[in-house]
This record gives sequence, structure tokens and C-alpha cells, in this order.
Amino acid sequence: MPVVAISEYKFPSKSRQELYGDDQLVHVWWKGNPWFVAAGCFRFPKAMPWGDFVGVLKGFYTADPDFVPDSLDSVQWVIDDQEVTPDPSASMEANGVGHKSLVQFSV
Amino acid sequence: MSVPTQKPVRKLSMKQRYSALTHDLDWPLSYVEEDDAFPYTKFEGIKVHDWSKWEDPFRLTVESYNKYQAEKDRRLYAVLDGFAQSQGQLSLSDASYMNAMKIFLQGIPSGEYQAHRNFAHLARYLNGPGARFASLCQSMDELRHAQTEIHTLSHYNKFFGGMHDWNKMSDRVWYLSVPKSFFDDAGTAGPFEWLIAIGFSFEYLLTNLLFVPFMSGAAFNGDLPTMTFGFSAQSDESRHMTLGLEGIKFMLEQDEDNLPIVQAWLDKWFWRGYRLISLVAGMMDYMLPKRVMSWKEAFELYFEEQMLNGLFKDLAYYGIKPPRDVEWAIQEKEILSHQVYWILYQFSHAAAFTTTVPNAQDQAWLAEAYPETWPIYKSVVWDKAQKVMDEGGRYFNPGLPQLCQVCQIPMGFTEPGDPMTQCQRHSIYEGERYDTCSDGCKWIFEREPEKYVQAWLPVHQIYQGNCGGPTLPDVAVWYGLEPGDGGEYVGSMDQLDWAAWHASTVKEG
Repeated sequence: MPVVAISEYKFPSKSRQELYGDDQLVHVWWKGNPWFVAAGCFRFPKAMPWGDFVGVLKGFYTADPDFVPDSLDSVQWVIDDQEVTPDPSASMEANGVGHKSLVQFSV
Repeated sequence: MSVPTQKPVRKLSMKQRYSALTHDLDWPLSYVEEDDAFPYTKFEGIKVHDWSKWEDPFRLTVESYNKYQAEKDRRLYAVLDGFAQSQGQLSLSDASYMNAMKIFLQGIPSGEYQAHRNFAHLARYLNGPGARFASLCQSMDELRHAQTEIHTLSHYNKFFGGMHDWNKMSDRVWYLSVPKSFFDDAGTAGPFEWLIAIGFSFEYLLTNLLFVPFMSGAAFNGDLPTMTFGFSAQSDESRHMTLGLEGIKFMLEQDEDNLPIVQAWLDKWFWRGYRLISLVAGMMDYMLPKRVMSWKEAFELYFEEQMLNGLFKDLAYYGIKPPRDVEWAIQEKEILSHQVYWILYQFSHAAAFTTTVPNAQDQAWLAEAYPETWPIYKSVVWDKAQKVMDEGGRYFNPGLPQLCQVCQIPMGFTEPGDPMTQCQRHSIYEGERYDTCSDGCKWIFEREPEKYVQAWLPVHQIYQGNCGGPTLPDVAVWYGLEPGDGGEYVGSMDQLDWAAWHASTVKEG
């Protein structure tokens, strides 16, 4: 439904991908772990290899004292509600991660 | 000889005087079309046939308004002076109480000021003189409230952190984008939607949930200035409630075609307002050293009992139904405050208030107030947070959270009936993905996506480089944060100062 307004009401998104250059925002959600109260929002290059991305997460989640970094090697990844088996050497983009995509896993 | 009789001048009754000095000053337009003079009251689709049916609930002339309010303000400022002279801050329940007032000062006066501006706009642009005059009075009230709140809390700024740059912070800091975006949303709507958003939903449906906890909290925790401000504002608030109710009834009585428009606004603004005051839930249950009542009890009393079982029974006469997501809110009453405070706890290193693990006394109170849900949060997060503290650390979330595109709160709310799974909702608009925290916010987004795609989401703005720099210290400087403003309460400047003041009091005594 369009906004009811006194004149044409059309504005660009304030968080559109082009504002981030070669990067994009990625949401990462450790489902079922309330220690991280909400999914995290990150800015990553679209061309970043998936394996490097997982490497960053292995550092990030050490904020949970019970986290075992290697556990991320055997999780089921879900990108935007699709179960996937990413290729670690391919880019995040090639693995199906878009701007503001939700990457989720549970341990 | 007869004395010439002079007919005594008949004094006008109060009612006649009010009439003569307010809406009788209106005049019929002679050389301007009504639509040109009042260009904003038709585009929203609300049909009005007779503006004179809108009664002004204030029924005060400007002269009497000024006289009455000046008296109230004089009483308030006398209390503020007395409190300052007697070092009243020393008799608060605890320095940690100030955290509630920091959120109040950072979030509320700017909202009052926005309300002042928009009611001033209505005072010019509504067609009916009664409605215009009522809006003028409310506009003056809101400006006074902004001023008196600032003055009430200014004394504390000399002694506690987090209160020095509230104005800059309300424009910039992540959790304060929640109230700011709420008022931006309402203020950019048309005048009738504004009336439902602020006049009705905020000032009527939810006002008791907002004001009573703060003011009673103040009374319970030795904060005489805030309590006095609350009493001073109370008579204004009751008029605002009347104006809100008057507004919605006026729209519904003028034309039956107005009903679906009003219902949709009610559905939207109930949810926007409810999400906004979730900050109050966290404050009530976790930030007051001496509790008044739990969020759950307040919600049951002020919302379920007074509004759902009272007001909405009356509005059913017009065909109005309870807000569409009200069931979601009801089931959330058991968990809302736990989730909000856990959000505040793990991001308070980037805030202008402090948080801490609830102490033994707090935990006993929480266990009693929330027998079913507190044990879950205690075992899953708080015991662990305490363990981190015991080992000399302090858990802060090392990243930035995903935010809801509509309410702008970090996406920490959970699926109904499943307190361990955060709720994730998404919409695609013109090829771009947008995230929302609940069915309520998703519905609001999809109803007017053009509006919410412009949301100034603090996390995204940081990543775009618009908030002072790429690192947290850069952002903190840009926010106006200073050492001692945020982080952990235990060991904070506020706590150490408090201990020192009281130690020296004992020595001298």
C-alpha cells in the first residue's frame, strides 16, 4: 500500500547496497543461543571467501565462554532459509550471500 | 429627586467568557477557500461534516491557562530549589536508580518537544476552532513538559554520569533512535494520523504504562523532583487523554467511512507505542533499586484491565476492534522485560547508562514476579554473566546487532511460546531485503514500505561511516559519551562516588 501523502512519496533506501561499495551487510544468527541477544550485523566484502568469513566468526563467538570454535566446521549452514553446504574457497556472494542476507547456524 | 439608574454591566459567566475568548474569535472565511486555508485535513481520507462537534477539553482561556500553569511551575521550582539546597541526591535509594532517569532524560524531553511542534502545527491547520484551541493548549503543555523535565533532572547532572549531552545523544545514540524514529514517523504523517498516534495511542492507551512507572518509581526511590514533576504534569496528562479520546470519537462519529482508516492507524500505533515502551519494561523490572510493581502487573492493570476490558468495550459501539497484535503483546508480558534488559546489558558499553547482573535481592524479587520465566533467564544467561564477572571479566557483545527496520530495537524478541528462538521476519521491497522483529513490525513495514526504507538505522549508519569513525571509541566520541557514562555499574564512577559521599557523611557525623 502506498503512503498516503500530500505529494509523490518516493525515497531511496537509506541502507541500499551501493552505499557500501564492494561490501555488503550480512546478518549472522546463532539460533538457539540467547547469549547473543540478537543476530549480529557485519560489513564484509562480497568477494570474501566463505572460509575467511567462518574464520572471523570463530573469533567473534569466543565472547561466549562455552563456544568451541571448531564446532563451526560441522554445523548446518542456512542462508536466507535455505540449507546449504558452502564452498569455503568460493566468495560469500558465490555461495548465495546477498546484501542483508541472514546466515544462520545452530550448535 | 431620583438617582439616574445605570444598568450594571453583567459579568460573563466562566463558560461565556471562555467561549468569547476562544472559539468565538473564529471568523468565516470570505476571500479564501476553506481548502486553501486548511490544506492538510483531506488527503488522509478522513471525512468531516461538522467541525463544531469537536469539543475542546481544556476549556481554559489563554489567560487562565497561563495563570494556572505558572502557579504549578512555581511550586515545582520551589521543590527543585529545596532539593538542591538540601543535597537531596544523597537520599536517593541508590546511585543505580539514576539509570532509569538517564533513559528518561535522554529519551523523553525530545519527544515532548516534537509533540509541542506537531500540536502547534495542528493549532494552525485544523479547520475547527475548538480543535485548534485544544491543540494550542496541548502544544504549550508539551513545551512546558520538555522544559520542566530538563530542569528537574539538571541538578542530577552535577553528580551523575550520562546526563550531560542528552540532547545530542537523543539524535545519535542507538537506543535513542527508538523514540526519535517513533516521533519522526508520527510527525511526518497527516494531522489525523498524528492525533491517533500521539493523542490517542500514546497519550491514552499507553500513557499510564509510561508515566506511572517513572513517577511511582521516583516516589519509591527518594527522587522528590521527578515525583513532583509527575504530579505537576498529571493534570495536563488527563486533559491530553481527554483530547485523544475526543479526537478518535470525533472521527468515528463524523462519517462511517472513517472507521477502517482509524482502525488501521490504531493497529499501527498500538504496536509502535508498545514496542517503544518496552524500554520502560526493562527499566521497571531491572533498574529500580526499590520496585513499584512488575511490568507484567502494570500491563495487566493499565492495559488489559483499563484499556481492553474498559475502553475497547466502549469503542466497540463504533465498530472499533482491539489492536491487531494485542495477543502477541499479552503473551510477551512474561518475557519482555527480561529480553529488553538483556539487550541493554550486553550493549551498555555503547550507552549512557550502566547495567549489572541483578543482585540476590533483585533476583528474589524477579523470581516472585515471574515464577515461570525468571528461572529460565537466570539459568541460561544471568548465572553465566555472573560467572564471567567472578572471573574478572564483563560480558559485552563484541559486535553490532541486527536491528528491526520499524521499531529499531535490536532483534532480540522471541517467537511466541519459544523464549529461546529470536523472531526473524523479512520482507523484500524493490529487490532489497528488510528485517523486522515481529508480526506487528512486519505488518507496519509492508503497509508503508516507502516510509520505512528511509529508516536511519544506527548500526547501518555506523557501517556507512556516518557516525564518527569505524571503531567503537570513534562512535562513542561522536555519541557524546564520556568515561563513566556507560558500561558496568559495579565499579562505575557513579557507584564509587556514591560510596565516597556516604562514607564521608558517616565520618563527619
